[in-house]
Amino acid sequence: MAILKVEGLSKFYKDVKALDNVSFEFDQGILSFLGPSGCGKTTLLRSIAGLEVPDTGSISIADKIQTSIERGILVPPYSRAIGFVFQSYALWPHMTVFGNVAFGLKLRKKSEEEIKRKVMSTLDLVGLQGRELRYPSQLSGGQQQRVALARSLALEPRLILLDEPLSNLDAKLREEMRVELKKLIKKVGISALYVTHDQDEAFTISDAVVVMDGGKILQYGTPDEIYNRPLHPFVAAFVGHAALVDGRVVRIEGDNCLVNVPDFNGADLISLAPKVVAAGDTCKVVIRTTEVKLSHDGFPKGTDNVLEGLMTSREYRGGLTDHRVQIGSKELVVTSHKLCPMIRVNGDGGKTFVSIDRSSISVIVTH
Amino acid sequence: MPLIASALAGAAIMTPVLVVMWRSFTSGKLGFTVGLNLTNYLRVFGDKDILPMLSNSVVYAAGSALLGTVLGAFLAWIVARTNTPGKALVELLPLYPILMPPIMKNIAWILLLAPRSGILNGMLQHFFGIETLVFNAFTMAGMVWVFGLACVPLGYLFLLPVFLSFDPSLEESAYIAGSKPVNTMFKITFPLAIPAFTSALVLNFLRGLRSFETPVLQGTPGNIKVFVSRVYDSMALEFNTGLATAYSVVLVVLSVITLYFYIRATRFSERYATITGKGYRVKVIDIGPWKYLTFLAVFLYFLAGIVLPFIVLIVVSMIPYFDYDTFMQFPSNAVLTNYYTVMRHPSFVTGLYNSLILSVTIAIVTVLAGIVMAFTIYRTRAAGAKVFEFIGTLPLAFPPLVLSVGLLIIFIGTPLYNSLWALGIGLFVAYLPYAFRNASGSIVNIHKELDEAAWVHGARWRHVFFKITLPILKPSVGGALFYIFIEAIRNVDVAVLLTAPGKEYGPVTLFEYFRVGQWAEAAAGGVIYLIILIVAVSVAKFAFKMKFSL
Repeated sequence: MAILKVEGLSKFYKDVKALDNVSFEFDQGILSFLGPSGCGKTTLLRSIAGLEVPDTGSISIADKIQTSIERGILVPPYSRAIGFVFQSYALWPHMTVFGNVAFGLKLRKKSEEEIKRKVMSTLDLVGLQGRELRYPSQLSGGQQQRVALARSLALEPRLILLDEPLSNLDAKLREEMRVELKKLIKKVGISALYVTHDQDEAFTISDAVVVMDGGKILQYGTPDEIYNRPLHPFVAAFVGHAALVDGRVVRIEGDNCLVNVPDFNGADLISLAPKVVAAGDTCKVVIRTTEVKLSHDGFPKGTDNVLEGLMTSREYRGGLTDHRVQIGSKELVVTSHKLCPMIRVNGDGGKTFVSIDRSSISVIVTH
Repeated sequence: MPLIASALAGAAIMTPVLVVMWRSFTSGKLGFTVGLNLTNYLRVFGDKDILPMLSNSVVYAAGSALLGTVLGAFLAWIVARTNTPGKALVELLPLYPILMPPIMKNIAWILLLAPRSGILNGMLQHFFGIETLVFNAFTMAGMVWVFGLACVPLGYLFLLPVFLSFDPSLEESAYIAGSKPVNTMFKITFPLAIPAFTSALVLNFLRGLRSFETPVLQGTPGNIKVFVSRVYDSMALEFNTGLATAYSVVLVVLSVITLYFYIRATRFSERYATITGKGYRVKVIDIGPWKYLTFLAVFLYFLAGIVLPFIVLIVVSMIPYFDYDTFMQFPSNAVLTNYYTVMRHPSFVTGLYNSLILSVTIAIVTVLAGIVMAFTIYRTRAAGAKVFEFIGTLPLAFPPLVLSVGLLIIFIGTPLYNSLWALGIGLFVAYLPYAFRNASGSIVNIHKELDEAAWVHGARWRHVFFKITLPILKPSVGGALFYIFIEAIRNVDVAVLLTAPGKEYGPVTLFEYFRVGQWAEAAAGGVIYLIILIVAVSVAKFAFKMKFSL
């Protein structure tokens, strides 16, 4: 049984396509929607909650239809039995922490005793015991966040929706909270949809990631698949430190393929072959620049993809260093860690050899 | 549900508006209609007085607006930017219009400025032997003086925040460039205050076009006709609804044009974003010996604009009858007979009771209706809800007198005619726009996610409305309730046509006393209202912690 099933969802704002025929299924765990602002991820989340009405398509939660434009079904948000954590937290300023968390329980006509028990245990769960009589304005950003979460969790929904819940926190707290958030969701054992524009956040928190752009789903997979086998140039560019160059497939050799890159002085690069590929296909070659090796002296024979270039500058970033290497008409920015043994260069410039392992290259056929 | 409630409120507004429009194109007396024609307009535009009337209306409104706004702006500048001694007197200014009902101002100034019986001319004659009647309340100058003073608080309130939150670096950079303080004042400070000044000026002009008491009490006796008094005469004296509505439509057109300029002016001032939200206090400037002149200005305004009318009203209410000699004998002849008289007079007692009951009821009902309308527009997906944005603002273009003309035409022949319901509906229609605009301003400022959080956690619209929206709106609801109560309890221009024997309205009774020459009784009644307002302000200030200054 799928906890969530979305079919053919589209939504227009005047001429802008916020959602363009979006379909996917989701079973359990934590699913992230990742994309730049305006990619439609928030519209998708709000449509699932029933806060937006799509123009076409349908949404089912736990096999019950919630939205179906074609069949004229639109379950209002208050009957969907989901949780929702808003970007602004949306804590009601005139209610205490207890009042905020108890709100939904009261509407469900629970007994006073049960409400009290449930609120207290939920506040315990999120680590806010003893704060129930405070008002939201008396809490720190991280604490407000927990209240927003507790307010949803108290209702024991099967699915919780989170709209960029950490974006209002400072960087350090954000990293702490995302680990804690993941632990908490796993502990409660509910499924979660998580909207974010930060790929680190998406990768750390989720079991699966949906990458969106222009209202479309570009790729749906595990974080590992998204990072190592991007199916779309945009995905490659958005999720990792990657350089993209145009190429043409020369031939296929078993699991590998040979791609000619005019920008690299017409060099042929060897890489793992994508599933569907034929000689003569035009393609995008995605090079993960954190995995590139550099050397002034060259590499032993048989090393993958050795290219010769000119280092133009280096930018020192503390633990990391960026090396700008001009290869043909393309500048490659190679980032290295200070302890990385694969980078054996010193001085500021000069002739530099570059080696790219075949597993560090993805080929995306564009025809 | 919220849609139905809003639709009812919308219908209450739209009906008199449409009736006025439609009735202006028909002929015949009260209630009866003889075909669609232009008879009324032919009479309106054929009237040889139409041009003088137009010019009177504009001169009166523009003159008062200019006098009041300039004076208000000047006082705001003195308070915010100068080291004038005694400027604390001016800081009470926002309280003054709350305490002094418009009709009481008119009565006080007529007692002071009346040509023959007036106190000031009497004093000139008595002390200086000047026989010519220098002052005359029943002239254009008299009207502009009285209504102009009523325009001061608005000019003050619009400009004070500008002068207070002015970015000091704008002036400091002028100093660095070599400009002296006075030059900087004129070249930098004042020009940057122009947008707010224009807004206040246009709004005061609109208030002048709509104002009722001054044109009827001062203009009519002096034979200076403006549109409002002409509408009133056609309705109250000639009972010619067709003519009254045709004059009304001309007045509405003038108001709409003014309203358009007002909207333009406020947009302009929003674009003129020199004032940042940072909370710095601007520097007070030492204006040297000039401060004695500004002190004099403040003192004179305080005396003439505020203290004098109060004193006159209180004294006149406590003398046996009003003429100059009796007035001057005070306090040796002080009596309370006027108070006994009005308190035994059924039309005043009923009127007082009705005005108290109705203004409390109307304040509650309009504020609730305004919130429901704003909620419908901004917080529900009800189809066509945007229409209410227009409908809720529409009465601003309709002078209150015109709205009551429309309502009166509707009520004739129904059980509502001559009932308290008629008065109540009239006040509701007149004050709903204020309630609505106040509520929509506040609702728009409530983050939408607060509502949505309630929706997804199981709330229906009624839960959202009563548990989220209303509690969060509480502070602004208090202010709106108080404002509408204060405005309604002293209303004359809506109530004047809708009262009936046994269904009096207090301020209208005072208006009638004054018109028939019972000046001392009118003053006594006025002082009673003054006491009610002081109590209301004190309760609001001390029990509800409401603030009356910036």
